[in-house]
Amino acid sequence: MPRELGPSLNERQFFLQALKEEVRIDSRGFGDFRAIQLDFGDEYGVSDVRIGKTRVLTNITAEVTTPFPDRPFDGPFTITTSLSAMASPSFSGPPSETEVLLARLLEKTLRRSGALDTESLCLIAGRAVFSIRADVHVLSHDGNLTDAACLGVVAALRHFRRGDSEVKGEDVKVFTMAEREGVALSLLHYPLCVTFSFYEGEVVLVDATLSEEQMREGSCTIGMNKHGEVCQIAKLGGAPVDAVILLSCSNLALRHVERMSKVMEERLLEDAKRRYKGGIKAEPSSENARVP
Amino acid sequence: MAISAEPTVVLSHLHHTDGSATFSQDGYTVIGAVNGPIEVSRRDELPEEAVVEVTVRPAAGVGGTRERHLESILQATLRQVIFIHNFPRRLIQITLQVTSTPDNDSVGSKIVQASVNLPILPSLLQTSVLTLLSASIPLAMTLTSILLAVTPDGILRSPTIKEIQGANSVHVLAFSSHGELLVAESDGIFTMDVWDDVHTVARRICCVETSANDSMQEDGLEEKAGGIMTFVKSVLQEKVNQDLNWKK
Amino acid sequence: MPLDTSSYSLALLRLDGRRWNELRRITAQISTMPSADGSSYLEMGNTKVLCTVTGPCEGGGTRDRDRADIRVELAIAGFSGVDRKRVGRGDKRVSEMVSTIQSTFASTLFTNLYPQSTIHISLHVLSQDGSLLAALLNASTLALIDAGIPMRDYITASTAGSTSSYSSNDESADPLLDLNTSEEQELPFLTVATLGGSDQVSVLVMETRVQAGRLEGMLAVGVDGCKQVREILDDVVREHGKEVLKSGRL
Repeated sequence: MPRELGPSLNERQFFLQALKEEVRIDSRGFGDFRAIQLDFGDEYGVSDVRIGKTRVLTNITAEVTTPFPDRPFDGPFTITTSLSAMASPSFSGPPSETEVLLARLLEKTLRRSGALDTESLCLIAGRAVFSIRADVHVLSHDGNLTDAACLGVVAALRHFRRGDSEVKGEDVKVFTMAEREGVALSLLHYPLCVTFSFYEGEVVLVDATLSEEQMREGSCTIGMNKHGEVCQIAKLGGAPVDAVILLSCSNLALRHVERMSKVMEERLLEDAKRRYKGGIKAEPSSENARVP
Repeated sequence: MAISAEPTVVLSHLHHTDGSATFSQDGYTVIGAVNGPIEVSRRDELPEEAVVEVTVRPAAGVGGTRERHLESILQATLRQVIFIHNFPRRLIQITLQVTSTPDNDSVGSKIVQASVNLPILPSLLQTSVLTLLSASIPLAMTLTSILLAVTPDGILRSPTIKEIQGANSVHVLAFSSHGELLVAESDGIFTMDVWDDVHTVARRICCVETSANDSMQEDGLEEKAGGIMTFVKSVLQEKVNQDLNWKK
Repeated sequence: MPLDTSSYSLALLRLDGRRWNELRRITAQISTMPSADGSSYLEMGNTKVLCTVTGPCEGGGTRDRDRADIRVELAIAGFSGVDRKRVGRGDKRVSEMVSTIQSTFASTLFTNLYPQSTIHISLHVLSQDGSLLAALLNASTLALIDAGIPMRDYITASTAGSTSSYSSNDESADPLLDLNTSEEQELPFLTVATLGGSDQVSVLVMETRVQAGRLEGMLAVGVDGCKQVREILDDVVREHGKEVLKSGRL
């Protein structure tokens, strides 16, 4: 399998010199994101996130299964990430380090922080639960996969509607969308990731492109929700960075998370308007629309 | 959402690959990407021709036997389509990502998964050819393919999932741009005579080229017929026009 | 088994009798394995880790022709935890720790002195009782020093937690240093590794939810813990050096 080619010495020097003069190659500010575009599919639970040239497609599916014996009330929630040759030819073959770390980061940000209320997926304790599965497909890789994938999964989870269900004694009936309107999942909070890249110990960049990622000395991903709770921090080695800089990163992360949450909110609202049929077919939701 | 039977395509929209295309038809949407010709591991390399590697990825879940089966059909077909002798000891890597399949409101999604493999095959074939075109990989021919179902009422073109379930047999046929039969996959019980009928119908749909005006006058099956070949040609024409835009 | 943290506010003593800023007992030995180029054995409370370093030896340079590769292997013994569990090779948590250790030392060691070679770090976890990643990093540092591979400074690590859970917003919450397993299961905590007792943070991993305001306190306590750990590790190395000199093995 071919290896991913890194930037040349000339490119590297040019880039670092530019950083010293406080210029980024694509003329963004150090703390700026590229344009974020969020779209939803025709079906429920499909989100398509584009951050610059990075593009991630997320698909949520639900099915009725029996729960794990040690957790009879919890519906399983799995996130799978697939980096195929579509993102880069070097991703064919066994899962690369990038893929494993991406999967771990998503799991830590979304699962361990309890974003999805898995107990609400229970139909009959120990017998039947909804299992939720998120498939993250990376279509195009131009850096910052983590932030894009995290936004994609959260947006898709909020967009998803599972079939309404009815329990009669021991029998579970799941209605299709044609029979009854779907039910939204119950999410407790919406964590999002922001990744920082460090250069020369001093410079901190947000939302690095692929070539910027290849040249960085260290990185730190901070998962936060808009209420200012940190869900996860991952600075997995790399060049040492002053503790004070890391703390200021967490403040900056909050600003970006608030902005991304707003984009997500707007897009979800637009999508809901597009789907609104009005009257009796209006959608039941477990969430209170007035609580921000 | 209404499913449009009209095929639509977006070419070269992914930036990191040599060629890419998103193709949707009859509720199926497939994103294809090609890398090639690139380096191949020594274990897999062929001394006189290119290795064609096809990966099919389902929208949900990981690929299983169903995807491997589709991959083997696609791989065998595309080896005929691509000029593999032009690239000895090279790899042409095709990734096909299914992003949506027609959901059936009356059936749970689980059952759709377990049904026959064939309905998605025409979309996959069409996507891979368009993706190869987008990557400008030398091809011996292009192809057009169609899904037909034989029901008690007759032969149906691009049947829905419900129609497939009620059908006696399902057939996927693909024809090269020279009019030769390239792929014939069938599922179900049928006689040779029925297959001959299917072949005739499929050939008429796939190989006969009609302009938009002509198709208005014809009836029934052929109303939309000829569309596929015309579609592939028009896509090609547009791509060539765009690629040569700088000359104008 | 939920941990009863209610008694903390009464006596300001943790379950094992420590104060908020106390480390557990750290004992370490180096040159434990004569056959390896460098080796160490480290205990942080009941977390026990064994590390051997081989290299720099020939081969490698696949990532970067001008530098040595660092390969890390991590084996967690089935009997190391409370319940006997086999940790598979493909476990994501393990590969994350491996990649963290690899990347930390790649930027701390002077790998540019050994082009086209490989340094193997092999870690065995014999017993786990919290602060696992921190113990692994500390043990690797000691073994690398024993192997005589030039590095910028000690990488020392410790964990820090907070007595409040994420839901409660009480102001009286204290930060805690060096958590054991039962505390890790109940409280938000982070693992921090610094370079040579400075404020330069090399690794910072947090997996639990916590109020952003609480982060500063936890990080400060963690960095301070790293400084204490550095003193302890430095003593171990100096003690070993004296012994070697005395026995005339040089």
